[in-house]
Amino acid sequence: MASCWIENSTLLTAIVGTWAPFVTFVLIMLFTRHRPKTSAGLSLASATVSLASALVLLGGHWNLQRPLEYTGRWLVSGDIYIPFGYLLDPVSLLMLTVVAIIGFLVQFYSLGYMAGDPGFSRYFALMSLFLWSMMCLTISPTLFQLYIFWELVGLSSYFLIGFWYEKFSAGQAGKKAFVMTRLGDVAMFLGVLLILLHLGNLNILEIDSPKIVGLMPPEMLTLAALLIFGGIIGKSAQFPLLTWLPDAMQGPSPVSALLHSSTMVAAGVYLFERLFPFFLFSSTATTVGLAIGTISMLLASTMAMVSRDIKQIWAYSTISQLGFMLMGLDAGGLFAGAFHLTTHAAFKALLFLCAGVFIHQYGTNDIYDLAAKGTRRMRVPMLCTIIGAGALAGLPPLSGFFSKEVILAKLAGLPNPIWLVAALLGVFLTAYYAFRPIFIMLFPPSLPAANASNAAPEGTRHRLLYRIMVGPLVILAGATVALGFLQTPLRNFLAGQYTGLTTAGGAHLGWLPYVTSLLATGGVALTWWEFGRPGARQTGFVDGIPVIARFFAERWYLDRLYRAILDHAVDRGISAVLAQNDTRVIDGSIDGISRGTVLAGRLAALINAGMIQYRLLMIFAATVLLSLYFFF
Amino acid sequence: MIVPFGHVIVLAGALFLLGITCAVCRRNLIMVVLGVEIMLNAASIIFLAGALRWFSMEGQVFVVMVLAIAATEVAIGLALIVYAYRRTGSVDPINFNCLNEQPTGSQLAGFIRE
Repeated sequence: MASCWIENSTLLTAIVGTWAPFVTFVLIMLFTRHRPKTSAGLSLASATVSLASALVLLGGHWNLQRPLEYTGRWLVSGDIYIPFGYLLDPVSLLMLTVVAIIGFLVQFYSLGYMAGDPGFSRYFALMSLFLWSMMCLTISPTLFQLYIFWELVGLSSYFLIGFWYEKFSAGQAGKKAFVMTRLGDVAMFLGVLLILLHLGNLNILEIDSPKIVGLMPPEMLTLAALLIFGGIIGKSAQFPLLTWLPDAMQGPSPVSALLHSSTMVAAGVYLFERLFPFFLFSSTATTVGLAIGTISMLLASTMAMVSRDIKQIWAYSTISQLGFMLMGLDAGGLFAGAFHLTTHAAFKALLFLCAGVFIHQYGTNDIYDLAAKGTRRMRVPMLCTIIGAGALAGLPPLSGFFSKEVILAKLAGLPNPIWLVAALLGVFLTAYYAFRPIFIMLFPPSLPAANASNAAPEGTRHRLLYRIMVGPLVILAGATVALGFLQTPLRNFLAGQYTGLTTAGGAHLGWLPYVTSLLATGGVALTWWEFGRPGARQTGFVDGIPVIARFFAERWYLDRLYRAILDHAVDRGISAVLAQNDTRVIDGSIDGISRGTVLAGRLAALINAGMIQYRLLMIFAATVLLSLYFFF
Repeated sequence: MIVPFGHVIVLAGALFLLGITCAVCRRNLIMVVLGVEIMLNAASIIFLAGALRWFSMEGQVFVVMVLAIAATEVAIGLALIVYAYRRTGSVDPINFNCLNEQPTGSQLAGFIRE
């Protein structure tokens, strides 16, 4: 009985924690849309409930031996049984906690950031929706349930990216994010169907168990893994589908913080963690994943090196860090990916929230403008940005250093050294682009007059909002520093996951941490020489070669390429043929039928000339025909 | 019966055809009424032939009836023709098609193109 009670209380906690945001969403949308304060209170209360329940779950199952699964029947169709429920194992518990913590901090921060916005209630409702879908995605026991919430995450991020819908570019960015991720989702759906065909159900634990190798032929397994990886590419903004993420900064800054750290893009990497053994069964899929992760990481790094928009730089860095995570996961390091996902969630949320403070204060995204307006006087956000960027660059005492080192160790264990070399190059570039905005903002060529010496803005209300925004920054900065030292407990916690799997630990190379930190420091030093040193010209070495700088700034012409493909192949090719078919065949035949009817009517009207003799003739003819019919 | 029944039927059919042709083709109302009379007579011949063949009086009774109807029909028909002639000044039936407005060729082409 005792165990039953414990299980029930666990289940209850999970249900309450994950569904509280949804209840809030419904309540706000139905009742309190015109009462912003009530809405914000409700939303924050539900976020607190979620946070508390996630922490309780994590604390209560710290020594979890085997995954806990609760399911109830949701749908039976023929032989296919689709359950709905909860799967609690180390991976999902860790992710749930990360989502809850970041979600709570971001909502708290939003109280200050979104104050006075006409869509205040709507904003909190959508944030709750976002949290609910992500949390339910996290604890999904089946791929089917995961797919439902996967799409809900996409939907709510579409709402939030296009939150300021009066702005044309925001609407466009929302649509772009939705459509581009949808491309990947179609592939993922096909992959899910493929698994369903062979396995008969979509239970994640069964997909991850070794028996799937016996049920699916190797090529089918590879195909399914690649298709599902397509969904991850779309969601996590990897190589072919990466351009939606930099545009997604059209939404409010807290949305970007949530979207970049723990919800939308993290969902892709989380799916990989979820199906980690499944992906490892196919070596082709992991190689493709490694290549995609590497390409995305390097591509996004180069783009970030020339961007002038602070949120865009952090967006590119997200792509490159997600590429890092996928590399680590594909190299066989579940802990590497999960740990970097966790630390990344903390420091990326921190960076975006800091950027939000700057943007809220000065109303511009451009780093040079921000520098000229005096961001360096806002001491706390600036310091937090430096901590976040340091973690991003992988500087030694900060969390990013530890998580990156784990990934690099995994990569060093691979037979092919090219991945390690590419990753080390990535480390160098990351340090460069992460500190470029820092030095630009810290050392502007000319400071404005020192009349605004007080960094915090005037007015008690303004000061209060500023305090509200700075609070989460400090907490996140603390987390960024501290998370690195939680490596061993987290590793032990995750060690319970997928125990049957032989993931040989990466070669533990003694020199690797030194090389990594040396490279990171080198990147920072190069940035300092170019941007921070007194009298620096504040132009990067890439800007010296206009062709390449332009190439990077145009995002390797990926958007142009997609535009051209859409214009030429889709618009003028497929759509033109379909349009022709529509006008000629379908419209033509219907018009032909109607015209034929009209013509037949006119011709018949000729007979009905009102001439008595014609009628007579007709009567006669009809009688003759009828008699022929009846008598013969 | 001296004349074979088939011959009478052929005669009646020919007469009926002549009558309908007259009624349909002639552009004169009097000739139309005449055609109708001929058709009635063709029917009468059939009745008579039938009466003779089956030795039954009903055929002859019908012929008398038809004659009466023909007489009244001619009376009414001629009266109508006189009325029509007074109205339009002609006995051509084409002048009495007040129900229909005949479309011209170009109008028809327009309908087809729509």
